[in-house]
Amino acid sequence: MGPSPPLGVGHAGRVLSPTVRPFAMKETITVSPVTRIEGHLGVTIETDGGRVASARVVGEMFRGFERILRGRDPLDAQQVTQRICGVCPVEHGIASVLAQDAAYGIAPPPNGRIARNLAQAANFIASHITHFYLLSGLDFVDVAQVTTYTGNDSALIALRDWAKSELATNTVNAGGPFLPQFPAQLIRDPELNLGILRHYLEALEVRRDAHKLGALFLGKLPHAAALIPGGITEKITAIQIAAARALLARLATFVEQVYVPDVVAVATAFPAYFSLGRSCGNFLAYDAFPQSDGGSPLLPAGALRDGRLERVDIAAITEDVRYSWYSSPSGLRPTAGETEPAPDKPDAYSWLKAPRYAGSPMEVGTLARLLVAYRDGRTPAVKSAIDSLLKTTGRTPADLDSVLGRHAARAVESKLLVERCAAWLEELRPDRPSCVDFKIPATASGVGLTEAARGALGHWIEIREHRIANYQCVVPTTWNCSPRDDNGRPGPLEHSLVGTPVADPAQPIEAARVIRSFDPCIACAVH
Amino acid sequence: MEPITRRSFITLSLRLAAMMGLGSSAVPAMADALERIVRGRAPALWLQGQCCSGCSVSLLDSEPLGADQLLTRQIALAFHQTLSGATGHQAVETVDRAIAAGGFILVVEGSVPASMPRACFFGEENFGSQLLRAARAAKAVVAVGTCATSGGIPAAEGNPTGATSVPAFLTRSGVATPCISIPGCPAHPDWIVGTLVHVLQFGLPQLDKAGRPAAFFGKLVHDQCPRFADYERENFAKNFGDDGCLFHLGCAGPLTRADCNLRQWNGGTNTCIRAGAPCIGCAWEGFAAKRDFPFYLKNDHTRPAEGDRT
Repeated sequence: MGPSPPLGVGHAGRVLSPTVRPFAMKETITVSPVTRIEGHLGVTIETDGGRVASARVVGEMFRGFERILRGRDPLDAQQVTQRICGVCPVEHGIASVLAQDAAYGIAPPPNGRIARNLAQAANFIASHITHFYLLSGLDFVDVAQVTTYTGNDSALIALRDWAKSELATNTVNAGGPFLPQFPAQLIRDPELNLGILRHYLEALEVRRDAHKLGALFLGKLPHAAALIPGGITEKITAIQIAAARALLARLATFVEQVYVPDVVAVATAFPAYFSLGRSCGNFLAYDAFPQSDGGSPLLPAGALRDGRLERVDIAAITEDVRYSWYSSPSGLRPTAGETEPAPDKPDAYSWLKAPRYAGSPMEVGTLARLLVAYRDGRTPAVKSAIDSLLKTTGRTPADLDSVLGRHAARAVESKLLVERCAAWLEELRPDRPSCVDFKIPATASGVGLTEAARGALGHWIEIREHRIANYQCVVPTTWNCSPRDDNGRPGPLEHSLVGTPVADPAQPIEAARVIRSFDPCIACAVH
Repeated sequence: MEPITRRSFITLSLRLAAMMGLGSSAVPAMADALERIVRGRAPALWLQGQCCSGCSVSLLDSEPLGADQLLTRQIALAFHQTLSGATGHQAVETVDRAIAAGGFILVVEGSVPASMPRACFFGEENFGSQLLRAARAAKAVVAVGTCATSGGIPAAEGNPTGATSVPAFLTRSGVATPCISIPGCPAHPDWIVGTLVHVLQFGLPQLDKAGRPAAFFGKLVHDQCPRFADYERENFAKNFGDDGCLFHLGCAGPLTRADCNLRQWNGGTNTCIRAGAPCIGCAWEGFAAKRDFPFYLKNDHTRPAEGDRT
């Protein structure tokens, strides 16, 4: 850590509106790249008096998937769209096969539907554990503290000896990739700190097990091979169910005994983050995890605006591009969406479009779907899990709308999913079919709505002359990290950053915690 | 490069232990220490272009050599965008320090948007420019995943960014640093780990004409297929979920060089073909490149004329 820059100078050396009173000081802080998220993200923050006054969130990478899909065989879609994101491939594959199921007029048999749920849940759990420990963890955990470890845990001893030998050398970037960190404001309690560091190492193994659970049904992860319209290509066998039970037991132990308690401990150590990162007040979720009884899905759809829960009307979804690097028309519905890149467009500042629901920015993600399910009430397990969390942490439902609320929601959802997966496994029937046959019509269209780990995911397919005529994806992080819309309203993350204190402009750790609480995925968001 | 064996460290440790009056129980620890001192953990720098991070996620699925072992015992990873503690300007400085020091192995995931540099940025620098700076300072470049080795989906027909593979971009820019290609969408963790460890400890592995390690990409998927006997007996699957050879459903095993049928994915959990899914040729250099070359032969109206696929 270097010395703090002189007042009035941002870390990048830019001189910024110097004023007389230090606490009225305006500064511009650029956090780019934001690491420990998926992909290429930058955030520019204007502070005033030591707090964020406004923020611009910049998606820094574009590939053009929607353009590449045009003219291809419709069946390519669930494989191509999985490659939008290596962290969320299963969810893209599922959104795509749901869109195609609708377009072809088919539905998977029970084995196919359940196996899709299991693989999707496995990817959620892998993603949530990865997010808390590998991505966000280093915003809280002091890695260098392991050098003082005196206990007898072999993994921590190995890490200690590694860290000591690294720090003793004069090589560049000693301690990489974990160091350097922003050293400010990390966990002070050595026992908690070392405990979470130990669990970081365990999380590496557990997320691998979660991927194995998905691969049992879908061939491999990331980028699942066996997803197909009408179900999955893999056959269900007794040994596969037994192997899945064993993997699931390990996941359940970690989630219940380690992940949930660690989130509660971090929440207790950083209580201020229950009031930072407050949302724009609007939440959107789609139906996810269809249940075998034909009743409500495990996690129901809903649009929560100004405290009122509404049914989702997908015709209310539009995408603005005034501040995005596209020249295609603004405000289009996904069914008529266009993606014409214009990298030199004046005033634009991001590769993300700005999706809006009836004109409103909407936060999506685990917190959104749990708040919707809590209000919806058809899944009692969600209500009891959230009530139990609030009791443990001594919080109110309003506190969940925060940095820590987002972390806690992921832990609660992971617990809910390991429990549901155990029940779904028992519903699989070996030697019954896991897919149905289908024909691809010359002309058809379909919408696939589901939830990714990071939130509401929609795919829209239009088929003409047996080929893809148009394909549009409206993706979780596109909602959360969107730039301003045509009316100048900021996106959910841009909104949530406002008011965040930044004690040291050279180490904007507070802003980094708000950003990472959304678990941004830029490869998804731009595609 | 002469390989230094474990045995040579143990021999040396035995002599040292005797000289220092230590018992034989001290030998393995001493050999470990010597190994580390002599070899050092060669520094690696991991950069991401137009990618989905799927190869990074795949690397985290490595076993039995898990990610913790890999990062602390095998490779000194100076920077990785998804794992690094460093944030913002700290990340830019970390990468720049590694480049200034030189002598590292550069791992690249993703393609380069050659005709639209704005399509991939790191801090205030476009990815192509960052890649060239890093590649010039590197001992070797390892292109990981099909996007990096041959352009992959970002470079497919109709793409708007001029996405280009890493070796093609480096050659075009006159960078002569040796480049190894590890295709796959994603690359198998063993292919990445096996190649990196070979480069770091023993020098360049044996490569084929396309710059791929022959140990992993020497044989066709088809030649090691668990359904090969079905192919021989002309027992072909007609629909998804059927038993039999998947060739008539579009299997690209006869085109694709990779050992996944033997190696298997996710620590031996499964493979595409075992799960009833035709190989889509994700490690093939033509992967996803053409609209008229669909992954599956299910749709009568988009399948190519008989014989076009081979």
